[in-house]
Amino acid sequence: MANPIFNIFKPKVTEKFTLRDEEFEAVGKQLKREIDKVFGRSLAIRELDSGSDNSTEIELVNLGAPHYDVERFGVSFVASPRHADVIAITGAVTNNMAIAVKKTYDAAPAPKFVIAIGDDACGTGVFADSYATLGSADKILPVDLKIPGNPPSPTEILKGLLALMKIILEKGQ
Amino acid sequence: MASPEILTSLKGTECLKTAFPGNNSEIYAPVDEAEFPAIIDALANDGCVLISLFCAQNFEGRKGLALFYAFERRGCENILVLMRSAKGSKATSVAQKFPSACWFEREVSDGFGIEFEGAFDNRRLFLHEVYPEDFHPLLKETPNKKIKLREKIPAESEYQFKPMNGEGVYQIPVGPVHAGIIEPGHFRFSVIGEPISNLEVRMFYKHRGVEKLAEGKTPEECVKIAEAISGDETVANSVAFCMAVEKISGAKIPARADRLRAVLLEMERIYSLLGDVAGMAVDIAFASGASPFFILREEILRQNANLTGSRFMKGIVGIGGLKKDVPENELRNLSSYLKTFPKLFKEAHDSVLSSTISVDRFDRTGLVEKRLVSPLNLTGPIARASGVQIDNRKDRPYGAYQSFKPRVKIMDGGDVLSRFEVKSHEILESVNLIQKILKDLPEGPVSSNFKISDGFCLSTVEAPRGQNLHWVYIKDGVVDRYKVRTASFCNWQAIEHAVIGNIVPDFPLINKSMNLSYAGTDL
Repeated sequence: MANPIFNIFKPKVTEKFTLRDEEFEAVGKQLKREIDKVFGRSLAIRELDSGSDNSTEIELVNLGAPHYDVERFGVSFVASPRHADVIAITGAVTNNMAIAVKKTYDAAPAPKFVIAIGDDACGTGVFADSYATLGSADKILPVDLKIPGNPPSPTEILKGLLALMKIILEKGQ
Repeated sequence: MASPEILTSLKGTECLKTAFPGNNSEIYAPVDEAEFPAIIDALANDGCVLISLFCAQNFEGRKGLALFYAFERRGCENILVLMRSAKGSKATSVAQKFPSACWFEREVSDGFGIEFEGAFDNRRLFLHEVYPEDFHPLLKETPNKKIKLREKIPAESEYQFKPMNGEGVYQIPVGPVHAGIIEPGHFRFSVIGEPISNLEVRMFYKHRGVEKLAEGKTPEECVKIAEAISGDETVANSVAFCMAVEKISGAKIPARADRLRAVLLEMERIYSLLGDVAGMAVDIAFASGASPFFILREEILRQNANLTGSRFMKGIVGIGGLKKDVPENELRNLSSYLKTFPKLFKEAHDSVLSSTISVDRFDRTGLVEKRLVSPLNLTGPIARASGVQIDNRKDRPYGAYQSFKPRVKIMDGGDVLSRFEVKSHEILESVNLIQKILKDLPEGPVSSNFKISDGFCLSTVEAPRGQNLHWVYIKDGVVDRYKVRTASFCNWQAIEHAVIGNIVPDFPLINKSMNLSYAGTDL
């Protein structure tokens, strides 16, 4: 019996963690308010890699890691496009991925939005002119917002999401 | 020339007489078609490993296609590069003797249209169905511009997975778009019940045309391309490329730049491997075990940003050294941060391994047998966790590693647990190395200026995932051919073997324990 009681009262590891990034927190809180308004509490994102150099993926994974933990703000990354409000596409869209990109987009229910994350997806990366890519995400999908960067930092991505909420509100959808 | 050990396999051949040393401890040996089979046999019998096979067109004024076979012999610093001409775009396959040649040859076939006779697999590799027939991007006559893709793919051009039939066998297709935030690739499982009977990996969805893109560009412009090969191996690939260019020109880079490059290389190893060990905990649904690793990784990424201005250290490595110096106060901050690191890391590591759940999932899962390491040219932590003593930093020391040697940990298990332990050790050892280097970091410039000469060179680095190999050929001041073979390219074949007999739910764990780069493979 002593052990469970000790476990309940012993200091919790999570309490020690005080690595807060003020700018990120501020943007996050603002984003949460906007998401509440536009999507009714939660925003579901399907990540779609169409040929990035994988650093953008690492930053997107970081958004869910302890320093950022964006689920607090109502943002979640979902396993299927069928559950998604937003398709977050990275990479310059390789020829080999083009069909899969189209199918993934088509599988997401309307209304849906597309954000291009990283220089490659925005069309300003090194592979824009290669024979092996279409050049940018907007060559194949209707991109609502571009978040440039090589790769953009987690805070920049979050700011991008905030901007997306504004765009959606303005469109009146 | 002196006679390095690797040349003993060529004893008594004509080819030995014409062999000449390259710019970076590699030895080139032009080989005659008549002698080729015997030499391949001799190399195979001597236990040499085929670490790369690539092609170049109109090499050094000789019209036509030339094939380069790079061989490594364990314990010998020199790499042997056999040069063979492919007359009439035909050549005999060596995949029966050297299984690692299978993907290499398919890659060359796609790029240059060479047909390999006697190959047991001649399906297309990086050119998927959407590319028209007879399109070979790496031929000089093919310009690097957008092409018309096939809209309708004829049935006979569709990719054929190797069939596996029998009562109760069914297939599970996974990908290219996966459920998590990871890169695209297709896995075709053949299963009976839950255990996996066969796995076929189909990659190259991310083929971006790296090698063709470099052609005709100045070496300075190509550094950016090298950085983009794989985001989490930015420094490893840019250093390998720059070293090749520096060796071609016979340039020496300042001691401070050499040491700082090693610091950045080790920082990259730390954050990359931290992601791997965190991922292993995530994939057994042990989120609280993974979080401390994620916290440490974020700290390291922030240190990277302080040191170089980029969380992935992009844009700092340049030809001749570094593009800018690293601020002295940031180096001091790094050193004091790294003092706190080992304790935090060990706590996180022990918390994962003190749980029976993780040991139960890690132990004897995803076995990579030692006998596979040489035939498939497995490299890096995967090879070291399967009992093979290889590390490019020790076997072929470059830059600061000539004076700073890492301690290499070898485990015999070959399973997920061994890879977890080897990677954990390497993280701590990298911290150690950085501290040692920072202790006596020389003052002075971080870049040297020199004129880039024409020539060719093979350079290798130990990236977080193993040996990355770069071959650069500069002609008339611009890059004429740039060949990259990352560790991931070879290590992908380990997964097909490692998963057999394991249950499907263990696949993500096995995959994460190797954590290979898709971008680095697909190029």
